[in-house]
Amino acid sequence: MTASSSTPGTSGVAIPFPMTSSDDPDAEGVVGTWFVLDGESVTEGQIIAEVQLDKVSQDVHAPAAGVLRHAVAESVGVAQGGVIGHIE
Amino acid sequence: MTELNQLDLYSMMVRIRQFEARVLNEYHADKSPAWDIGAGLIPGEMHLSAGQEPAAVGVCAHLKKGDAITAPHRPHHFALAHGVDMNAMMAEIYGRTTGLCKGKGGHMHLFDPENHFSCSGIIAQGYPVACGHALAFKRKGTDNVAVAVAGEGAANQGAFHESLNLAALWNLPVVFVIEDNDWAISVPRSASTANTSNADRAAGYGMPGVRVENNDVEAVFEAAGAAVDRARAGEGPSLLEIHTVRLWGHFEGDAQAYRGAELETLDERDPIPAYAAAIGLSDDQVADIQAEADAEVDAAVQFALDSPVPTADDALLHVFA
Amino acid sequence: MTATETTTGEGTRRITTAKAMAEAIALEMRNDPNVFVMGEDVGAYGGIFGSTTDLFAEFGAERVIDTPISETAFIGAGIGAATEGMRPVVELMFIDFYGVCMDQITNHMAKIHYESGGGVKVPMVLMAATGAGYSDAAQHSQSLWGTFAHLPGIKVVAPSNPYDAKGLMASAIRDDNPVLYLFHKGAQGLVWMAKNPRSIAQVPEGAYTVPIGEAAVAREGSDVTIVTISLSVQHSLDVAEKLEGEGISVEVIDLRSLVPLDKQTVLDSVAKTGRLLVVDEDYKSYGLTGEIAAIVAETDPTMLSKPMVRLAVPDVPIPYARTMEYGILPTRDKIEAAVRELAS
Repeated sequence: MTASSSTPGTSGVAIPFPMTSSDDPDAEGVVGTWFVLDGESVTEGQIIAEVQLDKVSQDVHAPAAGVLRHAVAESVGVAQGGVIGHIE
Repeated sequence: MTELNQLDLYSMMVRIRQFEARVLNEYHADKSPAWDIGAGLIPGEMHLSAGQEPAAVGVCAHLKKGDAITAPHRPHHFALAHGVDMNAMMAEIYGRTTGLCKGKGGHMHLFDPENHFSCSGIIAQGYPVACGHALAFKRKGTDNVAVAVAGEGAANQGAFHESLNLAALWNLPVVFVIEDNDWAISVPRSASTANTSNADRAAGYGMPGVRVENNDVEAVFEAAGAAVDRARAGEGPSLLEIHTVRLWGHFEGDAQAYRGAELETLDERDPIPAYAAAIGLSDDQVADIQAEADAEVDAAVQFALDSPVPTADDALLHVFA
Repeated sequence: MTATETTTGEGTRRITTAKAMAEAIALEMRNDPNVFVMGEDVGAYGGIFGSTTDLFAEFGAERVIDTPISETAFIGAGIGAATEGMRPVVELMFIDFYGVCMDQITNHMAKIHYESGGGVKVPMVLMAATGAGYSDAAQHSQSLWGTFAHLPGIKVVAPSNPYDAKGLMASAIRDDNPVLYLFHKGAQGLVWMAKNPRSIAQVPEGAYTVPIGEAAVAREGSDVTIVTISLSVQHSLDVAEKLEGEGISVEVIDLRSLVPLDKQTVLDSVAKTGRLLVVDEDYKSYGLTGEIAAIVAETDPTMLSKPMVRLAVPDVPIPYARTMEYGILPTRDKIEAAVRELAS
């Protein structure tokens, strides 16, 4: 696995906040719901979270199999493209 | 379009009239001397279609097995013209277990799934259900059509307007029939409806509309044929308003004082003798056709009278499938 | 089962109540071409409370149909199509909108099977959003299951969690009778409404059913029985968990269905604990709480060791301001107070 995260000491496949708002690239979204808890195993493609930006919500799926690590909690502001978690 | 057969049209109208006349007779026979609507072998309300035969016969001549009809509180003419079994229908009116609905529905709630026939006592509410039949036909890819029947008073109910829009929007194979018999119980059309013709309203909903005058069965036949053909060809819904006549009361027991002088000349507007004359039937032919109808009706009444009455416990059945 | 369990692989597949009900519809639609969906904004939008999420993308406009604002017409159309052998899933956006289409629901959908002496079936699901708690006020916050449970001919179900939401929807679609499926907006697990973690849960991916007419013992207990339904189940479980720590053992009965009603499960629990609290987000008078009381009273009132408690919305329209709205809803605080009183 590549270490492509921005969080020191964490390796694995990064999961970016998937949405972009063409109106305001600085607008923040939130993880509305973590479906998979920190430390649980996931299969590739499994639904892991629902995120929300500007009243529009979207599902996030695991980019790989492994153990999920959260980088942000629910309802905390995240920049578009920012990392919400990793698959180890 | 189906070929017009004058004798068939006439005979079916007579069959309906003799049925209605017999029900009229039986309905009143055991409610005297005091009028008690709940008494007798045929209790409850009774809405008979004498005078409105041309509407049912002219439309149903174009229908085939599998086509659906949703009819209103005055359903007998459409039921018979669409092939509903007379014995089962009479038994239902008599509230017997051999009735169409095992005595559960009565005269206003006749259901014949084999003929896709249903009726409802709630004004205009058969219109949306007809849209549903049509939706199913379209989805299944058949060329069946649904006919929705209501009175001119019903054309002011929300369900009428919603249904017309929906059918036009979704291009459903529906023929919306309005029987304009001038009266919504005691309220004349002039006091209920801003338009003088619902055919005009049809245009507002994006479908063709035709109004047929004079209660003329052949004119109904022509207009209905065009509407049914349109629907079968996948070209969508139409509205057909038929100016007809309600020869008897809105319901049996209706004194009809509100009709005033009109009552005196009503018989002159009876469409059946008029049509017999128009197609040149002899007195013998008229008598024969009536006798044949009477024989069938007699058998139906006897079938009903010979059939069992439901028990009290039967009332608890059939809430759920 | 809470959202804090740790399991592996497929066992961590959790979804919201909304996704679960939509998933049930999708599975039935894949299996049976007669199943289709109609309603306002059920298409690309996915239902305004997420009830038809992802269905449009999979099945398209022919089977997931956006309707005009014509409840009478499209509910009636559902009825007609159902009598022709199709299996419509029709959404009434808010149960509060029943006023504009009540005739089709109660005089037609509910009665056609009976009126026809069993000759005509109406295998239709009418799903509708219920529930308060987010200041949508009097015309958009009602529960109303008491009203519909009262009128013969309609099965009435209201799931409290994602697992039941999926299983009950499958059962509802497969049922040959009209089923009113009431989903609580506050239990859908929507990201844009405050949610209880119980609205997210593990749900098997394949098809399964939860039987209509069977209550669930959501939590076993011995001191007090709570009989409840829908979102109030989640609140009751929260209270029960809290009070366990204080030695009060609460049994929570999730009715799941109001018609048919699983009376036996209720009676068994009351016989065991002798202390009964009915929690109902619907209006108090002439409703579910009274129905449960009557069932106990006409079976054996001596099974109660204390008078029962009815916790429901008082007979007032749902107010707008948050303090007032939460003043009348059967909240956790009120449930807890009632349980403590019963257990004392």
